[in-house]
Amino acid sequence: MLHVALNSSLTFCFLMSSLQMAHRLLIRRIWTLSTKDIRCLPTSTATIASSSFSTSLQSAQSRVFFLSPSRSLPRSLPHTFSRTVSFNVQDHEDFTERVINNELPVLIDFHAQWCGPCKILGPRLEKAVAKQKGRVAMAKVDIDDHTDLAIEYGVSAVPTVIAMRGGDVVDHFVGIKDDDELDSFVSKVIGQ
Amino acid sequence: MAALCRGRHRWKRIHSLFVLTRNLSGKYDYDLVVIGGGSGGLACSKEAAQLGQKVAVLDYVEPSVKGTKWGLGGTCVNVGCIPKKLMHQAALLGTAVKDAKKFGWQIPGPVCHDWATMADAVQNHVRSLNWGHRVQLQDKKVKYLNVKGSLVDEHTVKGLTKAGKEMVVTAKNIVIATGGRPKYPTNIPGAMEHGITSDDIFWLKKSPGKTLVVGASYVALECAGFLTGIGLDTTVMVRSIALRGFDQQMAGLVTDYMETYGTKIAWKCFPKRVDKLSSGALQVTWIDTQTGSEYKDTYDTVLWAVGRAPETKALGLDKLGVQVNKETGKIVLGADESTSMPNIYAFGDIGEGRPELTPTAIKAGKLLAHRLVGQSTEIMNYDNVPTTVFTPLEYGCVGLSEEEAEKRHGKDGIEVYHAFYKPLEFTVSERNSSQCYIKVVCERDGGQKILGLHLTGPNAGEVTQGFALGFQCGATYSHLLQTVGIHPTCAEEVVKVHITKRSGLDATVTGC
Repeated sequence: MLHVALNSSLTFCFLMSSLQMAHRLLIRRIWTLSTKDIRCLPTSTATIASSSFSTSLQSAQSRVFFLSPSRSLPRSLPHTFSRTVSFNVQDHEDFTERVINNELPVLIDFHAQWCGPCKILGPRLEKAVAKQKGRVAMAKVDIDDHTDLAIEYGVSAVPTVIAMRGGDVVDHFVGIKDDDELDSFVSKVIGQ
Repeated sequence: MAALCRGRHRWKRIHSLFVLTRNLSGKYDYDLVVIGGGSGGLACSKEAAQLGQKVAVLDYVEPSVKGTKWGLGGTCVNVGCIPKKLMHQAALLGTAVKDAKKFGWQIPGPVCHDWATMADAVQNHVRSLNWGHRVQLQDKKVKYLNVKGSLVDEHTVKGLTKAGKEMVVTAKNIVIATGGRPKYPTNIPGAMEHGITSDDIFWLKKSPGKTLVVGASYVALECAGFLTGIGLDTTVMVRSIALRGFDQQMAGLVTDYMETYGTKIAWKCFPKRVDKLSSGALQVTWIDTQTGSEYKDTYDTVLWAVGRAPETKALGLDKLGVQVNKETGKIVLGADESTSMPNIYAFGDIGEGRPELTPTAIKAGKLLAHRLVGQSTEIMNYDNVPTTVFTPLEYGCVGLSEEEAEKRHGKDGIEVYHAFYKPLEFTVSERNSSQCYIKVVCERDGGQKILGLHLTGPNAGEVTQGFALGFQCGATYSHLLQTVGIHPTCAEEVVKVHITKRSGLDATVTGC
């Protein structure tokens, strides 16, 4: 298992097994599916089910679920959060509204005020997101304020960035990345 | 019709009997519920989970009187050992900076300390530990419940959330590891309204300023020590003696050093009242028992360090018949951490007669977990526990104090080897080393088994840890003589000790 030294202090560094991650992805998948149904999408449940379960192995590490590119979500959001570049998640409801139900792909930056590397990654991530001129959103989650949410998403070490499209986790990374790596990560998330 | 009714009644009776037996036969929510997520509680719950038990740990922090609260991890992580040692280090660095000039460092002006920078860094580290513990519980599959636990019966624990919602969990075994909290004096007007405790000092956002520390426990002396070290005007108010329970000769050396270091000590005084002035400062009125006179002075902060009380009030122990020591409030325990109730156990600071230390709580918790699972019968050995007081001049010890050794073996039954030494590092920096001292208390006869080892000096904690191993193995004075020292260190003086108290000779030793 990768052991990323993230903090010069004695911060614990635990990395979950990819199996656990995949398990959580599956749970999240089922949960978000039901949420979508409650929101009464014009498209049939069957369509959602079939397109969502098309998978392809992106990396050896985790199975990735993603929606086919041609499929668009005709749901109109009552607010224009999709245009905001980055925002701080306020609570579970806010997370559901602005992250899971966001029509844009969202990068979730799990960070903590005591985490030095997070302070480096944060601005870099914002820069990479800003370059995309509104094609991707960024949600910031302080793991001390939203511990349960962070645990739910299997965050152990910080910074952890999870990429979501249509409520599904499509990619993630732990630790710092440089500007080029971030650009390619973000492009990949949007690209498909 | 009558037959039908009778039948129905019979069914109801059978059904309720069935429910009763089902509960008794033990389909509990958990195999083990631990109340308290501190050093002991976390160690016990994680160990039990690793051994295959279904475990839940309940942790809840009742805010201090001043409103301070903190995350998972207990006293040690949040308001004890960890922040204390970090602030002690901050103070030591201040002294080191002063010494540095003599070693050639060109330091332009007077070096000042900024409380906010230190507090921020310390608090951030503590928060990272809170998170780390949370992740560990998740990884070890221990259910974490942020609720205030109390006992309903011997298998049921009630939990109260911060919002006041109630929930109930049942368990085959219950372990209480709720620890303690600092006491406030009850008979001093203004004490609670205007004073703080160790629960608050580490979480202050602004410097405490001119501080009065009331008490003479290691908590009081350690806090006063680092406050002095970072440049604050600090006074310790001692009612009778310092470091009660510790070797008193060593306690004297510790306080002597603190006085030369700059901490003011008001001996044989006790506070009468605390009033807040219009300026916001606190006026303390106290009595000097030696003169009988009353004095007043103003301080920015009053820190009460007058003892700790066990967290047992809200547990509902009396309702269940769990025996508690009437004087101390601590839970009366068997050698295997059992209480007066069959499947309820307790350990750590909450236990009567137990050392209030993290390492003993952790070890006891792990051993208890093994016993509960039925994997072992090993009980915790509370003897030979080494400890260190992290005052500006640290004091490390393992074993008996000289007084206790004398009591048990008689003055003629012991031989005390001692030495006043000077750490090499103190020479160039021209620091006063008159309180740097080593004392090895041995049995007088036979192999001269070491009964107690005491030392004051820099890094006493690090030095004592190694010797504690020897102590545990039953080291004797001859073993000490056979051990070659590492040169140049302070620790080597321990293995070189040869002057006895009995001889009356000057115990000052020189290096090479």
